[in-house]
Order: sequence, then C-alpha cells, then structure tokens
Amino acid sequence: MRIFSAVLILTVLAGFTAEVRADAPTLKPASDRFAESDIQETPDFQKHVAPLLGRLGCNGRSCHGSFQGRGGFRLSLFGYDFNMDHKALTAKSSSRPGTRIDKTVPGSSLILQKPLEQVEHEGGQLFDVASWEHHLLERWIAAGAEGVAEPHELERLEIEPAEVVFSFDAKPVQLRVVAVWKDGSQEDVTPLCRFRTNDDSVVSVSDDGTLTAEGRGDTHVIAFYDNGVGAVPVMQALSDRTGDNYPKLTATTEIDGFVQTKLRKLGIVPSELCSDTEFLRRVSIDLTGTLPTPDEVTEFLADTSGVKRQRKIDELLERPAYAAWWTNRLCDFTGCNPSQQAELGQETSVQWYMWIYKRLQDNVPYDELMEGIVKAQGRAAGSSYDDYATETTGFYRDDSAAAFTQRETMPHYWSRRSVEKSDDKALAFAHSFLGIRLQCAQCHKHPFAPWTQQDFQQFSAFFDNVKFGVVPDDDERYRELAKQVGLNVRGKNGSPVRKDVLRRAQSGRTIPWRELYIAEREDSVSLSLLRSGKVELDRADDPRTAIMRWMKEPENPWFARAFVNRVWAGYFHVGIVDPPDDLTPANPPGHPGLLDWLTKGFVESGYDMKWLHRQIVSSHAYQRSWKPNETNREDRRNFSRAIPRRIPAEVVYDSVKQAVAGAGQLDEVRTDLTRRAIGHLSMRLAGTYAMHVFGKPERAVNCDCERVNQPTLLQSIFLHNDPLIEQRLDESGWIEEVAKLEASDAAIDRAAVVRTAWLRTLNRLPTEDEQQRAQVHLEQTPSISEGVRDLLWALINTKEFILN
Amino acid sequence: MAFPIDSSACGLSRRQMLKAGVLGAGFSLSSYLRLQAESGKQDDGRSAILVFLGGGPSHQDTLDLKPDAPAEYRGQFRPIATATPGVEICEHLPRLARRSEQYAIVRGITHNLAAHSLGTRYLMTGNRPTPVLNFPMYGSVVSKEFPAAEDLPSFVSIDRPVEGPGYLGPEYGPLSTGEKPRYGQPFRVRGITLGDGLTIEKYQARRSLLTDIDKTFDGYERLDDSVRGLDRFSEQAYSIISSPRARDAFDLTREPDREIERFGRHDFGQSMMLTSRLIESGVRFVTVLLEGWDTHQDNFNKLGHELLPRLDQSLSALLDRLGGRGLLDSTSILITGEFGRTPKVNGNSGRDHWARAMCSMMAGGSVNGGQVIGETDAKAEGPVGEGFTPDDLAASFFQNIGIDPKTEYAANVGRPITLIRDGSPIPGLV
Repeated sequence: MRIFSAVLILTVLAGFTAEVRADAPTLKPASDRFAESDIQETPDFQKHVAPLLGRLGCNGRSCHGSFQGRGGFRLSLFGYDFNMDHKALTAKSSSRPGTRIDKTVPGSSLILQKPLEQVEHEGGQLFDVASWEHHLLERWIAAGAEGVAEPHELERLEIEPAEVVFSFDAKPVQLRVVAVWKDGSQEDVTPLCRFRTNDDSVVSVSDDGTLTAEGRGDTHVIAFYDNGVGAVPVMQALSDRTGDNYPKLTATTEIDGFVQTKLRKLGIVPSELCSDTEFLRRVSIDLTGTLPTPDEVTEFLADTSGVKRQRKIDELLERPAYAAWWTNRLCDFTGCNPSQQAELGQETSVQWYMWIYKRLQDNVPYDELMEGIVKAQGRAAGSSYDDYATETTGFYRDDSAAAFTQRETMPHYWSRRSVEKSDDKALAFAHSFLGIRLQCAQCHKHPFAPWTQQDFQQFSAFFDNVKFGVVPDDDERYRELAKQVGLNVRGKNGSPVRKDVLRRAQSGRTIPWRELYIAEREDSVSLSLLRSGKVELDRADDPRTAIMRWMKEPENPWFARAFVNRVWAGYFHVGIVDPPDDLTPANPPGHPGLLDWLTKGFVESGYDMKWLHRQIVSSHAYQRSWKPNETNREDRRNFSRAIPRRIPAEVVYDSVKQAVAGAGQLDEVRTDLTRRAIGHLSMRLAGTYAMHVFGKPERAVNCDCERVNQPTLLQSIFLHNDPLIEQRLDESGWIEEVAKLEASDAAIDRAAVVRTAWLRTLNRLPTEDEQQRAQVHLEQTPSISEGVRDLLWALINTKEFILN
Repeated sequence: MAFPIDSSACGLSRRQMLKAGVLGAGFSLSSYLRLQAESGKQDDGRSAILVFLGGGPSHQDTLDLKPDAPAEYRGQFRPIATATPGVEICEHLPRLARRSEQYAIVRGITHNLAAHSLGTRYLMTGNRPTPVLNFPMYGSVVSKEFPAAEDLPSFVSIDRPVEGPGYLGPEYGPLSTGEKPRYGQPFRVRGITLGDGLTIEKYQARRSLLTDIDKTFDGYERLDDSVRGLDRFSEQAYSIISSPRARDAFDLTREPDREIERFGRHDFGQSMMLTSRLIESGVRFVTVLLEGWDTHQDNFNKLGHELLPRLDQSLSALLDRLGGRGLLDSTSILITGEFGRTPKVNGNSGRDHWARAMCSMMAGGSVNGGQVIGETDAKAEGPVGEGFTPDDLAASFFQNIGIDPKTEYAANVGRPITLIRDGSPIPGLV
C-alpha cells in the first residue's frame, strides 16, 4: 500500500499519486539558515513569511485574521491571500506615521517591533530578539519586502516518520516535514508548519513538531504548510497483547483482515460475535429500517444452517423495505426537503423520494443513479415547451408520482430555493456527491483543508449557467399558459405553482412550469475543478457533464469514497472517516486500507450498492457483540465491538406501531410502505412532532449531522408519556386480542404472552428473571390485557428497544 | 459525537476531561455536572420570557403614537402620559402607563422582511434568516447556557414553539404545552401531565416494571454515551412527569381566584399566569403568544377592544407578580412582534405590513426602565437616523439575560457561528 512506504508521501490532494522527481537537495530548515544575522538569502513571501505569520498565529481568527482586523491591522484569515497580506504588511500604520515597514532601517519596522513587544502589542511577544524568526522577517524587509508575483505551486508535503507507534515509556518524537514544490525544489519546512493533534488525550504536539505520548489509543497529527495538509497516524497500544502476543483470529472477510491488522498493532482483542437474535435485529434495522417479527425470530433461531446469517442478508436485500430505508438515506444526502422545494413542497418531495426508490428497487448502479440527479434536465432533448408543460402537469395530476419515476432524470435537486445562487449550489454539490465541506473556503483559506478561496470561487463558477426558471425563448408561451390557468406571474423568471393553480390541472388544463435549463454564459471560461485540472467550457456547455465525467473516473478521490464511507457510517456509530461528510486530508480515515479496498471494490462491482451493503454486514466487524472485554473497553474507533446506536426517528415510529399490532395486521403494518415512516409517509411526516423529537433531519443544511441519533430528554418524555404512545397502546390490535381471549374465559398461557411481548419489541426471548418479573406484573393488574399494556409500555421504554 | 459531553460548550479539552475522570470508566453524571458548573457560567437563577405579539402590531397605535401627524396617519387613538415624564403611550394601555418605570420602550427598530414567517424568524433569532442555516430561538440558547434543574424542563413554549432550536439541535428545543390554558377550563400539557386513566400509582408501577426489566446494559452504563444518556433522560422524564414540582408548575388549579381574575379572563391572561408560575418554579425560558395583530382591516376595533386591554392587563399582572416575588431582577422580558404596520390607514380602517419601523419593550433583569430609546420620524415611517436592527434588539436581550451575544457555537454547518453576528447591544438599554 502506497501510504505506508518508508517516507509517507502526502499529496496535496488525498488520493492523487504524486510523481516522485529525481532528488533535489533539500534546503535546511529556516531555523538553521536564519540562525545567524549575516544572511544573504532573501526569504520568499509565500514560502517563508506567510507561513511564519501563520505559525505565529498572527492570521488567526482572534488576531489579525479577524474580519474586522485587530488594532487596525488585518491579514487574510489563515493566509493564502498573498496580495492582501503583502499590502497590509507594507501599508500605512494605523498607530503612527509612516508604513508598517521601514526598508532603510528594517529594525524600526512596526511589524518587527510589535511581535518583539518593543512597542505595545496586545498579542504579546511572539519571538526573541536575534531569533531566526526575527532574522527572517528583518532580512525580508531589508531585501525589499517583495510580495508574490506568481505563486509557487506546492506539490506535496513529505513527513517523517510515516507512522508513530508509541511504546508505554515513549520518548518524544520529532516530526520532519519537507515541502516539495512543483519546480522540484525541496525544503525542510518543519519550523514553518502549523501542527494539530486530532485527539490530545493520545498525543500532544508542540509548535515545533515534537510529539509527546499522552495516553492509549490512536489518532493523527496534522501538519499544515502553504496549502498543503499532511497527516501522520499516531498510536499507543491499549494492552500488551500486540504482535506475537496477539491471539489468533480467523478473519473471514477482507474487511476483517484490515480491521484486525490494526487491532493487532493496538493490542485490542475484538469482542465475540453477537448472538443470532442480536444479529437479526441489528441487520433488519440497518438494512431495512424494520424490526423482525416474532415468527421470523423463532424461525431464525431454529435454523441450524451454518450460512443462515448470509442467507438472511440476501433475503433482506431483496425486500422493498431495503429500498425504502436506503432511499431515505439518499434523500438525506441529497437534501430532499419539502420546505425548500421550488413549489408544491409535499408533492415534489414525494416525487424525489419515489424516483430514487424505484432505482434502489431495481438496484440501478450508484453512478448511474447519481448521474440522473447531477445531469438532470428540465425537458427531454428535442421536446417543446408545451410538451414539457403537459408532461410535467401529468406528474401532478391524480397520484402520478409513479409516472414521475419514469423520467430519465430528477431535476428537483437543482430547483430548490436553497440553491438559487452558484455558491450555494457548489456547497450543496460538494456535500451531496463528494462528501467534502467547502464552507470555510467561501470566505477565506480553509484552516484544515487544502481549499483556498480561489478554489471555491472557481468551483462555484461552474454552476453559473445552471438555471431554474423560464427559458427566455419560451417566455411568451409561458405567460399565455399562465393566463389560462390564472397563475399570477411576478418578475421575469416565472412564478411558483400553488395549490389552487394545481387544482386546475385536475380538470385537464396544462399548467406552465418553470424548468431547469442551461443558460448561455457571456463568455467561454476555463475553470479549475477543485485543483484536479482545468476544464474549458464553451458558452452553452452544460458544466455538469465535465464534473460527472470527472467523478466517474475510477481514481476520483471523493465520489465513490464518500458514498462508501457514508454507507459504512450507516452500519456503525462512525464512518471510516468521521464525520462521514468531511473527507479532507486533515480528517484522515482510521483505516485507510479498508476504505481504499472497499471503494475500489465498489467501483469494480459496477457501483453495485447491494455489493457494498453485503460486504459490510457480512463482516465479523459488523456482527460483533457490544459487550467489551478488558482490551477494548476504551476503543470506539476501531470496530472491535458494536457501539449501541439509537435507532433513527422513522424506525422508532414504525417499530412502536409494529410492536403493538394485532397478529393479523403484523404483515401489513410492516410491508405496506405507503403507511410507513421509512416509506411514503417519510415526506408527510417530515417536520411533525414525533420526527422532530427523534431527530429526523430537515435536510435544510449541508451536513450529515442533521440526522440526530442522540437521546434527548424530550424523547424520553415522549416514550414515557406522549399521547401518541398511549394512543398506540389504546389501539393495539394485540392487546385487544388478549382481552378478547380473556373475556372468552379461555385459559391464557401467561408465559407465552410474555414471550410474545419480548419477541415483538426486543426481538428475543425473555430471560428467566424477565419472564418471572413480567408474570408477577400480569398477576398484579386487574386483567391480563391491562398487564400486557404496561408490559409493552415498559419494553418500549427499555434502552434495548431504542438502541441497536 | 459524544453525548452529553460537549467539550466545546464546557470549555474542556478531551484530555482535561479524561484527567478529571469524566470520560471512560471514571465518569459519573455528577462529576460532569460539577465540571460544567466550574467551567461554565455563573447563572444565579436567571430566566427570561418572550411575549410574542404575532402578526405585526401597529407601532403607531401602541407605543409610538404620532398625535400630530395628519389624521390618515395618526389613527383613532390618543396618547396618555405615563409615570415617566415625557413618555406617552396609547390610551388603551393605562395600567402599563402607570408601570412605565419598570420597562424601556425601543422605537425605530427597522428591517425589510415584511412577511410574517421571515420577519418572525428574524425577530425570534436576532439573525436575518437564510435558507442555508437555521438560527436558534432565544430560549434554545438560554436552555443550553442555563439548564434548569433535573425535574423541570428548561424551556417551555405556550402553546407552540415560535421558532426552533436551529443549529443547536433538538435537545434545546422547547417543551410545548400543545394548548393554551383557557379561563375556567382544565389545563394539561403534552407528555408532561399524565393522561386520562393513568394515575401516578399506575405510572409508578410501570416504571418499577421498567426498572426491573431494563437490565441488559447493567454494569456497562458507563461504557457508552447513548446508554448513559438514555438512563439520564429516562430518569429526568420520570422526575418531571411524576414530580410534584413540574406538575405543580403547570397546575393552574392552584392559583387563587383573585390571581386568575388579575391576569384576565382570556387565554393570554391565563398563559401569562402560567408563565409566571413556570418562572417561579425554576423554568429558564418561556415563550407566550398574543396573536391577532395582523390588522389589515378593522385595526382600531381589534386593538382598542381586545388586544390592547388584554396586553395591558396581563403584562401588568406579570410585572407585578414577578416584582412582588422578587423575581423581576433575574427575569428578562422581551415583548415584540415581527414588524410594524403601514403609517397610513388603509380603506378598511386597517394597516398593512411595514418593516421599516417597529417598536418593542424590554423589562426585568438589568433593563434601565422608565425611558424611550430611539425615535421614528413624524409619520412613523422610519427611524430617525440609523435606527436599530432586530440584531441589536437580540444582542440587548442576550446581554440582559447574561449571555454574551458574541458567543460562538460549533454549529452543524462546518464553521463556528456567532450567536448574534451583526448586532450589538443598544446603548443605555441594559
């Protein structure tokens, strides 16, 4: 594997192989070269001055990087706006006559006197007199204080050592960072880097790049220099069971091979496999958003086949509920939100959901599915505006969401009110399809990712001619139709269709719809595609074609990887990269080899989503018990045991319904997707009290974290005492069945009732203690059915019910 | 993500928490709370109330009268003097006029979002709404900064939330009462009061059964945040639902008749009485609604005969009661709508939406009462000078509550968000 060669090669963009050039001599660190005062070398603004200011913290948010500046002096936040910074450094001082630098008497320059605290400086003294920092800045001033004419291009950062494994009595380790520039020149930039530890309970890092072990576990230390970001894995074993002292494990799947390689280094022994009932509940929830039925549990327990788990996985993947649940997740990632649709939020969102649902049901490859969204068109090529309006009207007539799913592409992604501007399209696109966050770079150099503001602006400009509205040539016809149906048109770009206008569609009229189209740019453009090369766009080119082509290149660093990582995060408490939608070199994967392998396999499978799901849930890593052993109690990053997760909002809603349903309704409650929160009700329930309480995402912002699977007080109050819970118990078909039986004076097998209660809710048989305690309760209540009601209430309120 | 530990919120690094035994094996809730108390803010029982006058109250018919404007502008109401020399308000607010030393009036607040939903979002969050980020309502910020005691909700909305918790997350959302208390009618809250047929004994029996069968994770409670969180919240839910404190706080049958009459024989009066009860029992933030100010027609009848007398009576009662119980100094109260109304009366004796000028009231806490800050021009069309923004008003409200309006939160959008980005406290108000 490339990453773990002797010298870790960190490319500027993760995943791109850098060409290694013939060795040029590596320049010694600036701290050596500028140690003495009689230097001839002229420091370079980009390579030395700007990074030094960053390293000293001058351009940080609380100092001169603040958008209001500080003390009248403002630098670009986190650097990388060389012109602005150069201008600021050489500009007139706000506190005294003259400029901030004095080329004739460099030592009297304000930009030296301040950090030396020779004059009052709120930021205090930042370096000593006659230090290398002092010499470097003084020399730069003396040599003319030149700025940056044409920026140098950084190729990569190389960091030594490539990986740090601390033993228990670990001595500090010094990192060495070498910058390799495009022109082949190399320099040791260790003293000019900013360093950050991703977990200060494992390792701390000093300003000069010295690592000190702080505790057991594993994390990364990140180095920042220029627009480069490099990461070094750092770990300290959790037990002495490492290397030869590690127990022999049978890694059954490729995934387990990767996971166990790391566990062995860390001295973590994984937990046992979970029980059959735990497995069945877990995989049913994760794959299909649905609890198993009592019969299903019983049958699964009785099945003695050695491959029954595998068979169950295959069976679940064929259920419509699989498509329904994962459609929900894809709606999360793509931001399907009724309140942000261009018009008719409810209907439009249902179309969006159904369009994806059909494709998951047919197991359409992921790239093809996404292409239908990325390259969505308003009307089919060659058709007229009337054709488009007639067809679209049909989608809203009666219950025609099904007809909409026949559309080749799904345009609603682009017509949302939240992505009217190019910048917002760029942010949403990066989040949905690439799993990266460009937010910071919208206004300044990203502090933890390679993105500069210019990278963002170029990416945003791609979307300048992706428009939603009325094609100018069709405006006249649009207005004619509008008049006919009484649609009030405001402004040049058409108006949203409202419910009252929609009603006219029922009577057969054609409604004028705005549409997604590609406008002509004023000029052809040449744009950098997130620094992966230039794209030339003619005036009428659809910019999304080039982006899609690039995303589908097998070595694209994000498109497939982002999805693979998100799917993984759906099965564990974290992604391989976590947060899962933050793929950046400063947030490296805990298991890079695993993520590479899964991504490659997914692409080679033809972007087969079922392949991906099957790989993950078939692994031992997925099928572990949550019960820890003495080596993995503290481990939360390495998949050595299951970490309990609160079940998602939609699943809570459906599961409560299923738990109380009558025996005869059980199948219908589960399989009638039109009445399930993970199914067609998904959009109608969006924003309701129950969904809100349990953290169904509004899909209003670009963040996977919008889906909240954390417990809250309101959730407990809800499950304890919400009218909806009492209503479910009131209407419970099963309790009614018990009551009827009781009324008929038939003998009731209390133990069997208790067993069923457990099977319905926790999907396992009760223990003996549980059985006894429950029976005691059934004897105390005036009737068995009343006791059952309490029992269901209690079971729904157990941690085991709400956790997976 | 770790829960309930939010290292950014309590200002501790992961390492410090480990050292303190907060994470991992040594964790206990009390130690977490203690740490939070040590590193967090001193809250000394602060609370706040937001009275939302939904619909857009006419500024020139309430607190910013223009008796000298032409008849088609000044409307039908006359100003009356208040206890503060030189300060005049509408003749239909006589009780409030006598209490003018207890509140400040802010005139000349200005913005340009004259639609109800946008204006409301702006005024209820202090941030101009954007489709890409949801800002938290004041109460969510307060419940994050000053959580209430274990057996009480921190943030209550009567009867429904005005705005949500936004980027702070659902755990900071309000507990909504679901309905308004009605004069002479029994009152009950969603989830918090036991439903029909469910006695406290029965709830206790259920809970005891639950405790006995919820043992799967016994011995491992400290292992995982979600397990620990569920235990904690289940306990708190039980405390709230079963405790006399929460039940009492919502139990309006405990109010003597004279209090019920003092607050008024209407939903709003009873809601204000409930608000007072909640604050007295330790709830940190309450929102209460008085709607109906969207007077495109018949403005003067609606205001003169219904809305203003109700506001006058109930708000006065609230100020008197909190003052009488020594709680006014620790309770910040903001009374506002989402915008003002058109300076000129329309053909239906109504006024339409107008965001260029509006006014608000602030009371309690450290507010400098007995004054008017800001000014509108002769016809109440816009502020004299720059005026104030909703952001400024929000910054002042937070300042009065004791929360720095420049506090930053790690929002779910990939960058830190400043609580009130664009505003600063109105000088002299607090």
